[in-house]
Amino acid sequence: MQELMVGFKCKGCSMLHYPRHARCLRCKGTVFEEVELGDECKLLTYTKLYALPEGIEMTPLLLGIVEFPNGVRALGQLKGDDIKVGMRLRPIWGKIRKLGEKDIYGFRFEPFYSPQ
Amino acid sequence: MRDVAIIGCGMTKFGRLEGKGLMELLVEASLKAIDDGGAGDRDFDAVYVANFAAGELTHQTGIASSLVDQLSLLPAAADRVENGPASGGSAIKNGFLAVASGAHDLVLVVGGEKMTHVDTDIITDIVATLSQPETEYVHGVTLPSLVAMFTRLYMQHHGVTERHLAMVAVKNHANALKNPYAHLQKAVTIEGVMNSVMIADPLRLYHCCPISDGGASVVLCPADEAKNYSDAPVRIAGFGQATDTHAVHERENPTVLKAVQLASKRAFEMAKLMPGDINVAELHDAFVILEIAQSEDAGFFRKGEGAKALEEGKTALDGELPINPSGGLKARGHPIGATGVAQVVELVWQLRGESGKRQVKGAEHAYCCNFGGFGNNVVAHILERM
Repeated sequence: MQELMVGFKCKGCSMLHYPRHARCLRCKGTVFEEVELGDECKLLTYTKLYALPEGIEMTPLLLGIVEFPNGVRALGQLKGDDIKVGMRLRPIWGKIRKLGEKDIYGFRFEPFYSPQ
Repeated sequence: MRDVAIIGCGMTKFGRLEGKGLMELLVEASLKAIDDGGAGDRDFDAVYVANFAAGELTHQTGIASSLVDQLSLLPAAADRVENGPASGGSAIKNGFLAVASGAHDLVLVVGGEKMTHVDTDIITDIVATLSQPETEYVHGVTLPSLVAMFTRLYMQHHGVTERHLAMVAVKNHANALKNPYAHLQKAVTIEGVMNSVMIADPLRLYHCCPISDGGASVVLCPADEAKNYSDAPVRIAGFGQATDTHAVHERENPTVLKAVQLASKRAFEMAKLMPGDINVAELHDAFVILEIAQSEDAGFFRKGEGAKALEEGKTALDGELPINPSGGLKARGHPIGATGVAQVVELVWQLRGESGKRQVKGAEHAYCCNFGGFGNNVVAHILERM
């Protein structure tokens, strides 16, 4: 169980990355440290996907791109009914889909005051 | 570097081509280009085969080796070139570089894909594997979902409306009606597009290209030998290729197609031309928003003004810069590996004045953009009459 999402900070130039790259996108450095991205982010854009990939249980599948206060962005599934660009969300760890026979876990994003 | 000319071109019809396998499509397109180039009795130095997913879709690998054997072009060098949806552009670039460098004199480039026999779900998944594995694909991302998120941002920041999206589809379907090679031979209306089924909100069915089968091919040689083969050769005046971050969310401004900007800039610099010099363009409208965005990032219109240009008819067949006279990916169809080559084939016909009812009058300079992944690997070419 992972508590918080992490990004990858280049030890050479401090650039933050998500996901990890073999070399820093700015200075080509190869040493990174993991940094927590925080428990609050903002929704930049989203979609409701009706043509679903296999192993996805949510219909429609809500996907969005969020931005953390440190500027790092991430893509993930969204939870909630009243989705709006600009809303505050938080990352929650859990099962996101099945791929083949395997359960896949990761972060999805949900509103702060979820009705559930 | 030597100047390089296209001396022959040809393509299969695009569409649901039942009974024709990948190899038959590649052979048909190749023979048309070879005959068109008057090179039927010649030995070729190299063959570049653009293809996205023969192994996954048709259970055949090593297709370039198989093709040269079929075409009796042994012992020509043969390679398959895979760059996702920009495989065709990459294969033409490789052919261009081989001739320009002096390494090869006569080169065949052919692109093809056989797709319609496979279930849509499986194709969607194979195409989705183009996305970043750990931060996109695993969450259920498909190409339409990335495009949908891009479309929403674009509508928010660059003045694009649902009506604009529909106008691209209406225009390109109308152009395709004048193209006997096009997959979709059917006019659509603004209302029809705006009411079509939702695929990934705000992306609707008629904002997306169809799944198609097809092949397209060109023959290249040094420009100073072109007249030995063809009365109307076309020069490859420039190419550009550029890459961008794999994950879309890592782009500084996710509504900017930086690889389109850079690839286009490089192509224009090499050709010593400006966007204003182009008379006809083929853009990679796998999804209609991409035609608007590319028309801006390629340099034809300022950012945020592509939709206005569309609305004013500037990109129509009789406008100042006709875009996608062929019908584009939207209506000509998108057999993935064939697309980048088919764009060039259309432009060669346009420059030779052979495009029939969709002919852009007096076209001298032409541009195309072949867009790989979700814009993370883009190839642009500029062609000119010789």
